[in-house]
Amino acid sequence: MTERSLSALLLAGLLVLGADASAGDMTPDADGFTRPLELLRFNPQLNQREFERATLVALVNNDPWEGWNRRVYHFNQRFDEWVYLPAVDVYRTVTPRFVRSGVSHFFANLGEIPSLANHLLQLQGHDALHTTARLLFNTVLGVGGLWDPASRMGLPRRSEDFGQTLGYWGVEEGPYMVLPLLGPSNLRDTGGLAFDFAIGAALDPAAEAGATQQATPYYGVMALDRRYINPFRYGELNSPFEYEKVRYVYTEARRLQIAE
Amino acid sequence: MPLIVRLLVLLAGLGLAAAATAAREIGADEYGYPLANPFEATIAGTPEPLRPALPDDEDIDQADYSLRLRPHRELPDNFWAVKTLKYRLARQKGPAPLVFIISGTGAHYTNSKTEDLKRLFYGAGYHVVQLSSPCSQDFMAAASRDATPGISDRDAVDLYRAMRKIRKQQRDLPVTDYSLVGYSLGGLNAAFVSHLDEREGAFRFRRVLMINPPVNVYSAVTNLDRLVQTEVKGITNSQTFYDLILAKLTRYFEEHGSAQIDMALLYDFQRSQQRLSNEEMAMLIGAVFRFTAADMAFTSDLINQRGAIVPPTYPMDEGTSLTPFFKRALLCDFDCYIREQLLPFWRKRERGGSIVQLVDQISLYALRDYLAGSSKIAVFHNRDDLILGPGDLGFLRQTLGERLTLFPRGGHCGNMEYRVNTQAMLEFLRD
Repeated sequence: MTERSLSALLLAGLLVLGADASAGDMTPDADGFTRPLELLRFNPQLNQREFERATLVALVNNDPWEGWNRRVYHFNQRFDEWVYLPAVDVYRTVTPRFVRSGVSHFFANLGEIPSLANHLLQLQGHDALHTTARLLFNTVLGVGGLWDPASRMGLPRRSEDFGQTLGYWGVEEGPYMVLPLLGPSNLRDTGGLAFDFAIGAALDPAAEAGATQQATPYYGVMALDRRYINPFRYGELNSPFEYEKVRYVYTEARRLQIAE
Repeated sequence: MPLIVRLLVLLAGLGLAAAATAAREIGADEYGYPLANPFEATIAGTPEPLRPALPDDEDIDQADYSLRLRPHRELPDNFWAVKTLKYRLARQKGPAPLVFIISGTGAHYTNSKTEDLKRLFYGAGYHVVQLSSPCSQDFMAAASRDATPGISDRDAVDLYRAMRKIRKQQRDLPVTDYSLVGYSLGGLNAAFVSHLDEREGAFRFRRVLMINPPVNVYSAVTNLDRLVQTEVKGITNSQTFYDLILAKLTRYFEEHGSAQIDMALLYDFQRSQQRLSNEEMAMLIGAVFRFTAADMAFTSDLINQRGAIVPPTYPMDEGTSLTPFFKRALLCDFDCYIREQLLPFWRKRERGGSIVQLVDQISLYALRDYLAGSSKIAVFHNRDDLILGPGDLGFLRQTLGERLTLFPRGGHCGNMEYRVNTQAMLEFLRD
């Protein structure tokens, strides 16, 4: 904690140094107004259509099942509003914070197993070792993954899923899909999801320990945790074009993750 | 000779009077806000360690509520989510003063700036109600009579009505008095709502705070429209502006090996090789506002069935693609919205009038006497705010005098979360 605030302070200090160097010439006028727009070089005709062009290009998409996808999107939004979020609210009220963070770490720790498999499949030896170390530290020191001591030891989570692995090996994204309850995806990532789920189920230490015998509470808590840690809320973009924006962000974010 | 002496005395007196009502100016060296670049400040806001300690979401007793304000309005099925107006209320345990927050241009009531203000006021012991901007999709669809935002006094009537309904819905809440805070366009909205309240008297606001409001609405939106006209290097036929930004991000991630997107990343990014130029940042800010303009133009057109973007009888259900309309709407900037929808609508109501008259009527000029005479109103502004034009600060200085606090930096709303600003906000609300 102190380490974090220290590095934050350092960062702020660097900012003070860096920011002064990057300030342009801003002499205030008689009112004290610095006329910030005069710092900019404008297209002299003011007839540039780059925003329009770039956005129209960005709207080119592979979404042949759009009608169906939109209906699922609306279904998900209703489910979220009427069932999922109210359930998360109850979960939030009945459990203390440390229990919830323990639950999040527990499921995240289990998620390291498919992640490890995917690092290996992408020949990322270093990341695989990193993830193995995390898995071991968190399982042993974090008592079955209830805490995340590895992050404090300077080993942040590097998750990788099978969709990314497929992307790494050059598999095309395929059409955009909105999955019931799970949200935005595409054909490739949906396949990846199934694979990760299968690996997770086959190599699940929680199953070995018999936790999954109680399937309803186990997967119920898992579902609650998934929503609890996800900050996305329908409607917050407050745009009639939310569907388009989510589709674009999902697609680009996945490409970034795969390029990384 | 005596005439000259008398004139000198008069001038000295005037000088003294002017000095007594001068704006509160914060000097650049004592201020300490680190981002001297107005574009960077606008995008990145305030670095985490320079913000005040605020209550965590988990420690706030809050919930979202909804109001049915326009039960007879017909909207297509795919707009079911905005048939009611939602708002968020954070309640204290016992009796407390209440602050209404009006969000900025097109922003939702859960916008991060509105949320941060809520945390600040809640932490200081206020009940807080968060409202969406009258220019936002949900407010236009669910609360606005005309769904043609921009006519400030009519927007104020819609806001006021919603606020009264909220009070009615929350009648168990023990409120000692009311204050009103708005940022960006919400600041201008707050002034018009307060003006209306002087006549209606439902709330008798104790304090009204306007943070970075536009003075002349038209010059503000013209500035925003211009931001996407900057010359950005590296845009070619095969590489669009977004490709350029994403390529920079990708290279940055390749160098740093982590794709955690958060605020710290933004600062780090601007110190890296891939840092964005002023023109690129301006273009990004401009693009965000163009999306707001597109949302407004589309929603207003759809609800009023004007046919500027959507054919009035176009059949729509939950599966209908809106992408073709998005493509049309994003060709429409604020100026286009004003000329194609707002001005004709206003002209019809007023039986004629020029754009100059419209601008006078919807800008702060319309409230000059009220702002000058009402001691409960204050304005916080920045010397380098992108939405201001020459002369705007002069207007605020003359009109508000010492009730104008002028910060040397911060761009547009970038310093709202900075400790010095939040402290000044709390002091103003408390005194």
